[in-house]
Amino acid sequence: MHKASDNELLQEAKKNVSQCDRCGTCLPVCPLFGVKDVELSSARGKNAIVRALAEGGIEPTADVLAAVNFCLLCRACVETCPSKNKTDEAMVNVRQYLINQGGGPSVKYKTIGSFLKSRGMVKIAAGALSILRKVGLNSVFPNGMVPEEYTRAHFLAAFAGPAALGQKVPPSGLVVTASTKVAYFKGCGMRMMFPQASAETLKILKTTTQVMVKANVCCGMPHLAHGLRGEFLDLAKRNIRLYEDVEAVVCDCASCGGALKHIAHYFSEDPEWKDRAAAFSRKVMDLTEYLVKVGYTPRQKVDTTITYHDPCHLVRGQNIEKQPRDLLKATGKFVEMKEADTCCAGAGTFHIDYPEISSKIIEKKRRNIERTGAAIVVTGCPGCLIQLTKAAKASGGKFKAMHISQVI
Amino acid sequence: MIKEEIKKKIRDIVGSENALDSDLERFAYSYDASFIPLLPANKPDLVVRPLSTEEVSKVMAIAYEYEIPVTPRGISSGRTGGSIPIKGGISLSLDRMTKILELDEKNMMVTAEAGVRTFDLYNYCAAKGLFYPPDPASWKFSTIGGNVAENAGGMRAVKYGVTSDYVMGLEVVLADGTLLQTGGKAIKNVTGYNLVGLFTGSEGTLGIITKVLFRLIPMPQKRRTLQIMFRTLDDGCMTIHKMLQSNIVPATAEIMDRTCLEAVARHRKLDLSPDIGASIVVEIDGEDDKALEKQVKQVETVAKACGSIEIRIAQSEQESDELWAIRRGLSAAVAALAPNRVGEDISVPRDSLPEVVRRIRSIAEKYKFTIAVYGHAGDGNLHPSLLCDLSNQEEAKRVHQAVEEIFKAALAVGGTLSGEHGIGTTKQPYITLALGEAGVKTLKAIKQALDPKGILNPGKIW
Repeated sequence: MHKASDNELLQEAKKNVSQCDRCGTCLPVCPLFGVKDVELSSARGKNAIVRALAEGGIEPTADVLAAVNFCLLCRACVETCPSKNKTDEAMVNVRQYLINQGGGPSVKYKTIGSFLKSRGMVKIAAGALSILRKVGLNSVFPNGMVPEEYTRAHFLAAFAGPAALGQKVPPSGLVVTASTKVAYFKGCGMRMMFPQASAETLKILKTTTQVMVKANVCCGMPHLAHGLRGEFLDLAKRNIRLYEDVEAVVCDCASCGGALKHIAHYFSEDPEWKDRAAAFSRKVMDLTEYLVKVGYTPRQKVDTTITYHDPCHLVRGQNIEKQPRDLLKATGKFVEMKEADTCCAGAGTFHIDYPEISSKIIEKKRRNIERTGAAIVVTGCPGCLIQLTKAAKASGGKFKAMHISQVI
Repeated sequence: MIKEEIKKKIRDIVGSENALDSDLERFAYSYDASFIPLLPANKPDLVVRPLSTEEVSKVMAIAYEYEIPVTPRGISSGRTGGSIPIKGGISLSLDRMTKILELDEKNMMVTAEAGVRTFDLYNYCAAKGLFYPPDPASWKFSTIGGNVAENAGGMRAVKYGVTSDYVMGLEVVLADGTLLQTGGKAIKNVTGYNLVGLFTGSEGTLGIITKVLFRLIPMPQKRRTLQIMFRTLDDGCMTIHKMLQSNIVPATAEIMDRTCLEAVARHRKLDLSPDIGASIVVEIDGEDDKALEKQVKQVETVAKACGSIEIRIAQSEQESDELWAIRRGLSAAVAALAPNRVGEDISVPRDSLPEVVRRIRSIAEKYKFTIAVYGHAGDGNLHPSLLCDLSNQEEAKRVHQAVEEIFKAALAVGGTLSGEHGIGTTKQPYITLALGEAGVKTLKAIKQALDPKGILNPGKIW
């Protein structure tokens, strides 16, 4: 398996942002710059680091690692850059480079990596949580709400850091008919943190067709985010093989969906896997993407005000923003919130690694939700849902946070 | 190098989290949006981020006592190296001073701190039906302090003028920390020298601007945007002249050549018809739809008489926003066409615009460069962008020769080196050519009087 050499990584990163002319357009859209307004928070600052590293103007120090880690990979900068510099991809490349320099991923992420690689271990974690529910603590944790007490381990186990997703993938061109073989991809986040929502997704899918549920492994995004590129590729191969007899793979997690759609990109130079990976990525659809394609009508219409938060990996990673809104408009009184597509600062473990910054950002989100008067804020990503649930709690119960499958 | 005990004094003034001295943090404050190379880095010794005029004054007093160079900075979106601390010392970033202090509706004036973003000021006043016209392309992130120090222009200058046309008063911290208040709300004011005019455009070399008093005008009720395509740049320029001569004054009239259009088409995956050589984007404003309709008809008549190929009138605000987004992103889109872009900001009498464009074309041919031309055709301010690779020694030499000829061409037709970007370091070598010996001598005399120790943004302009 080809392992990118260190210098190649740096040069790749430099290429990602080579058209940066330091204009400054990225500064006002960066959620991190919005709460910590020093130059290093911004994409411009990060691009300068990348260039200087690649040209030998600065040394790869701990400060530099901290600076490149301090990025949500939300792509707000990429979207707004007049030259479309890809700062998020550069960050992933530089992180990999720095990790290689430092002798490999930190122990913490190696542990998470092996945890998530093993389907068995992920199932046990999910089981532990479901036991909590079985013993009647279910009423304390209503549908879609995260348990009040959660350990850092649960989260580290669930997600390990934000992850970049390369080019924005266009919506799926797949034509879905009554005879299309459809499978549900059960991601680790949904499985462990929001099993009820995952069950709802399956219920919904079953009303549209006969759905297959296979023993999939982790989509590998957490591994990619933290320098375990090799592991990501292994997991990808296992999932590719698993779904080879299926024509559509539907996913209710924005991050998993985005990662799975990008698998083709990561194998584009591999003569053995190139075509199989491309065929697999073409099958992947987000839940909302699939439901709109098959003309799904929500199970009920309610007289409730609903608003929506765009997961970064859906709106900017997969170009999906209309479908969830169309489904919600058919469900209740939909109202658009300000900055609906601004990152919630969940970003994997970002909210654990940078709790203060993350709270400041989610504070802004809470105010925006409250301003809409919505009773429910809906999203399509478990990572976002964790943050939105914190916001719901901070609002003193003014609104609830739910996964879209629990609402439509 | 700034001694640790001095750093401590400064930390005591602004707070230790607002005095940055790690290697990496200082590197992040060593560049701006000019083509001055990123490396070797022009790092300051300390980045200081005050929150109030009082803090600025105290920091300047220390800098004066210990003769530490101070380079003021907003958000470093300048195109000429003005905020790059080339002599080290302190990078004094005013971007935390973001308060709009007073909107005086009766007098139609607004007072704001130096770190307020131009776009934020515009929106704040617009909410009350008042108009702050200057709109540099960077307005969503650039600061008014920077705008005033560089006398920024923007696309509306053809009808509404530049930043200096709106500055009524300034609060300036002088080199030794003394606080100066100058100007005021009286419309007519000739009391002593025109210090407001002196500090405006002084590029941080005479004092640190901490507050600005701007005058405002009533907001136009309606706006419409048009895009007109031409075979040649000449036809486009001619159209704008005829418009102005017929007393049709557009709020903006931006011109761009084929190279620019191709840069945009690349990014937005648009198709560009082969016979289009240039395009103008025009914004007209007025009291009501009737007034706009009349202007639109007049513009169409003039454009057709000057050989326009296509006229597109934006039908919605969204379409209008799209057209303007293209123009605002043009600079960066053009810069992306080559490893380096040397962009200039020449300013010529309006009627000389077609001639200077002809001369630029022949300079491009002579030195074998692609030069993308775009700019504010309505007021004669052009941004020729030379696409090149400065890492190639031979090419870098040719670039300098070409740029010098462009300046000479601008001066020859009665124009000057900079319409709105300032001189900074990028145009220093040509300042005597532009101002003459007496001109530069006068600048130096003023500098000596206000900054005898030479600590304010040293090494700039001349």
